[in-house]
Formats: sequence, C-alpha cells, structure tokens
Amino acid sequence: MPGPSISASDISRLGNRAVIWGIAAIVGVLALTAVLLFLNLPDAGAFNARVERVFIENADLTSQAEIKLLEILAQSGTAFSETLVSYRIVIFVLLIFATGLLVTSLVMIVMLIVLNRRMAMVEKQGLQVSQLVIDRATNSVAINDMEFKLTPAAVETLAVLAEARIDDEVLTGAAIEAVISGRQEIDCDEAAGATRIKRLRDTLGNQLISEVLVKNIARQGYMLAIDSKVILLR
Amino acid sequence: MKNTIITAAFLVLALAGQASAQCYADYKAKQDNPLRLQYGIIELPQAACASPQAARTYAEPVIARSGWTLLQIESIFDETEFQRRSANAGAIHLRQ
Repeated sequence: MPGPSISASDISRLGNRAVIWGIAAIVGVLALTAVLLFLNLPDAGAFNARVERVFIENADLTSQAEIKLLEILAQSGTAFSETLVSYRIVIFVLLIFATGLLVTSLVMIVMLIVLNRRMAMVEKQGLQVSQLVIDRATNSVAINDMEFKLTPAAVETLAVLAEARIDDEVLTGAAIEAVISGRQEIDCDEAAGATRIKRLRDTLGNQLISEVLVKNIARQGYMLAIDSKVILLR
Repeated sequence: MKNTIITAAFLVLALAGQASAQCYADYKAKQDNPLRLQYGIIELPQAACASPQAARTYAEPVIARSGWTLLQIESIFDETEFQRRSANAGAIHLRQ
C-alpha cells in the first residue's frame, strides 16, 4: 500500500512556513523581553529622588555635615545608575546574540527535519530527479548534477516527452513518432515510437547505471558505488 | 555732639529692626544634576509670618533667585531662635 503522497516541494514549503513562524516567535519574545528590561530598570533620577525624600522627611537633618553626606550618597547613587546603563547595553547586546543563536538553531532544526524526510524519500525512490536540463545544442541532458551525452534522436525523444510532461499529456508511440518526423499521426507506426523510447532508455539507462552504480575512478578502474553490506552473493 | 549722632543712629537702627518683622523661617532646598541640598534661613516680612503657606509664597521666588528650588518650609521662628539656628544654615537670606 502506498503511503500518503508528499513531495519534496511540499516538505520545503512546510519547512519554510515553520521557519518564518519560529523566527517571528523568537524575535517577538526577545523584543518583549528587551522592552520589559528597559522599562523595569530604574532610571538615573530614582536615587536622587530617594535621597531628596529622606532629606525632606527628616526634620533634624540640618547640619552641614549631614547634608554633605546626603549629597555624597546621591552622587554614589548616580554613579551606580550610570553602571546600570552600561549593564543595560550589555544585556541588550546579549539579547541580540541570543536572538541570532535561537534563529540559527531553529533554521538548523527545520533544515535537519526537511533533509531527513527528503533522505527517507530518496532512499525509497532510489533516484530523485530535482532538476532535468535538456540541451539540444550539445545533445546532452543533465539530471540533477549528472550530465549525459545522448544521440540527437534520443535528445529529440526526451525533449518531446518533456514538453508533453509540462503540458500534462500522455503520448502514444505513434504520437511521438508523428511529432518527431513531422508526419500525420495516422501515417505513423506505433512501433516506430516504441523503438525511439527503447533507444532513449538504452542510452540514458546505461550511462545512468554507470554513473550511479558502476563508478569509474579516473586512472584506477571501475568499482561498485554501493555499500558492501548490501551485497548478497548466493 | 558725635556721641548723640551715634546714639541716634543706633536708635534708628534699633527702631528699624523693631519695625521690621523679626520673623524668620528655615527651609530646605535643592539643586539638580548633580543633586545638592541646602538648609537655610530666610527672613520674612510681617505679612508672611502667619503660616508656612504664606512663608512659602514669599520665600520661593527669593530662593529661586539664587538658583535653588525650595523643597519645604520647616518652621517659622523669632530672633532668638534665629541666633541659635543660623550656625547650621547653609544660606541666610535677609531682607534688604
């Protein structure tokens, strides 16, 4: 039974949405923290106001020495509030760092999840084509990062199939032959199209197998590019 | 002759002193940035002797003229108390 259908683009779209919401949440929470931080720290005048109140409320604080002491108290409070301002900046910088780190780690986690799902899909499918480039000028086709040289006829067949795929059409052998040869579909033989498909599969398939399975190591020779544990000999 | 002049002068001064209210208030004032505090005494006219409220109305602009902000009038007292308290005062505003 086939599992629920989900494509790679679906996964990355889900991931993108999760990233956007996550980043928005992180930035929101930390911005709120910063605002609360700045609102709740006492301002420079708080110490002076406190000293002033002490001075007013105590009637016997009248001698010059006592007043001088109160002034010194207020000055040390002001100095402390200047220290607080610098702390505030340090805390703010740390908040910005924390935002950056959290955003980065969120993106990393989402990327890991997406990559894991994609890996699982690739393992199931064997080969996932994420890009197919057909170059008629050089008679080559690039699947993902693998480039294959094809015969002009095979490129023509592939191009016809690709165009049909873009239009969501299914072509019979006769229709393929008709498009390529330029004759009426009624005049074309179904077998001729089938032959073209077979030739395409042959040329593409052989090279694909050679690229994916039988690796050619330059100046050393050939080897199977698969995990030795999956080889079973009977 | 000279003696009588001096006596007369003293008499005038004393009478003038008697005529003026001989009423004082001690107050607390401040300056901002950096915070500075002051305990001072101000001489009040007769009209301002009745209540701290009246004293405040009179004293506030006088103290403001010397660059201080009046915080509070502490009490209102007479000449003898003035002598005792003036030792502590950081500033004494007398009437001209």
